Amino acid sequence: MAKPAKKLVIITEKLLLKKVAQIIDEAGATGYTVLETGGKGSRSVRSSGQPSVSDTTSNIKFEVLTENQDMAMKISDRVAAEFFNDYAGIAYICDAEVLYAHQFCGPDGC
Amino acid sequence: MDFLSDFLARFGAQLQSPTLGFLIGGIVIAALGSELAIPDAIYKFIVFMLLIKVGLTGGMAIRNASLAEMLLPALFAMVTGIVIVLIGRYVFAKLPGIRVVDAVATGGLFGAVSGSTMVAGITVLEGQGLEYEAWAGALYPFMDIPALVTAIVVASIYTSRQKREKYLKNEKYLGKEEYIGMQPVAAGGAAIDQPVAAGGYSTSDQRSSGGYSGESGGSSGGYAKGPGGASSNRVKIWPIVKESLQGSALSALLLGLALGILTRPESVYESFYDPLFRGLLSILMLIMGMEAWARANELRKVAQWYALYAFVAPFLHGFIAFGLGMVAHYATGFSAGGVALLAIIAASSSDISGPPTLRAGIPSANPSAYIGASTAIGTPVAIALCIPLFVGLAQAMTGG
Repeated sequence: MAKPAKKLVIITEKLLLKKVAQIIDEAGATGYTVLETGGKGSRSVRSSGQPSVSDTTSNIKFEVLTENQDMAMKISDRVAAEFFNDYAGIAYICDAEVLYAHQFCGPDGC
Repeated sequence: MDFLSDFLARFGAQLQSPTLGFLIGGIVIAALGSELAIPDAIYKFIVFMLLIKVGLTGGMAIRNASLAEMLLPALFAMVTGIVIVLIGRYVFAKLPGIRVVDAVATGGLFGAVSGSTMVAGITVLEGQGLEYEAWAGALYPFMDIPALVTAIVVASIYTSRQKREKYLKNEKYLGKEEYIGMQPVAAGGAAIDQPVAAGGYSTSDQRSSGGYSGESGGSSGGYAKGPGGASSNRVKIWPIVKESLQGSALSALLLGLALGILTRPESVYESFYDPLFRGLLSILMLIMGMEAWARANELRKVAQWYALYAFVAPFLHGFIAFGLGMVAHYATGFSAGGVALLAIIAASSSDISGPPTLRAGIPSANPSAYIGASTAIGTPVAIALCIPLFVGLAQAMTGG
């Protein structure tokens, strides 16, 4: 059995890691995954792996599985309102089917 | 003329020093498109090693020094940090095409201190045999933190005033001609509503100005008169100080200081930290050179005034600190090497702890502008030109 869920993806500056994580926690999500990323956006190219004088220049990608669209919207709205005027960032949402996740699906599995 | 030829000879010798050689080498290979990449982790480790060594040296020296000697140089370091930001706000910001928040952030970054430049300066002082107080490295936080705090406070005052003015323009029912004094309002509506509006403003003004004077009193007294500012958007000083102290550079330096004062680290210092110091510094300079080239591209996207500021500022800031250092030299016998080091840390611009603090503290400022100006031009100028200049000046002025 697969349990339908929403996957919210937020790509933003590493500087905001703790602040975004706090927003996700406060929204009541059971967890999230963070990856170091690089790439090209509308503002400029952001690469990782080059010697950089500070961490401000690297990007991260949050992936959050939420049970419903409401929670995902709540998180992305807050993140966008608080940070995306001044910081680089993008947020999008996908449909997902969770196959196995103890925390997410409950003790009996999905 | 003697002084000039003496200085030029020193400068020529400096060009052959490993410090500057590796910096230029880094710029050259980055410009040639080399694939050489030095991992971030190594960069961070080197910075940690160098600053903990400086901290240990300082800590061991403080054990034998009287704290009264440090008082005047530390005060002058604070004054320099604050003055640099105010120059950014009231001089640099007036240039055409410069946004005020960008100017304040740039001033803050140039007021803050670069660990690598300071370490390079210490190496030169030791190479020249110029005496300096070993605790002079401990002046770092006294300049760094006030500069960052001042920049963030000044920027917040400015942005909240901007917001307030925007709000007033949109707010029809408030008597805005009373507040701004130059926006005529249609007589009809305003006349009726004026008593209410005036009452509302006087209280909120008191509140906001009271808030600023209380909060910024610790770092500098000058903000009590800071006009405007929404009371809801107050600047909290302590989180900025905390963030600076928690940054990797200051943590390492302060840890080294504490260990130097409280423990007996001589054995590990002599066998490990001291011998590795110069070699690690050369790698750090290579990284700084590569970074400078990478950042130069970003700097091209912003106004050319940044390049000019980044070139002139290290000299100007260094001379301010040099002058204050000479006062301390005549007043309390602060050594010539100490004066040179104070000038060098004033000439430097932060590259490790400053950028993230400013990015978080002044989010509306453009990081390409201030980080680009600092890393691409400010730091190479400080290392290549200001270090030999101030070391030479200190030697000449004090007959050392």
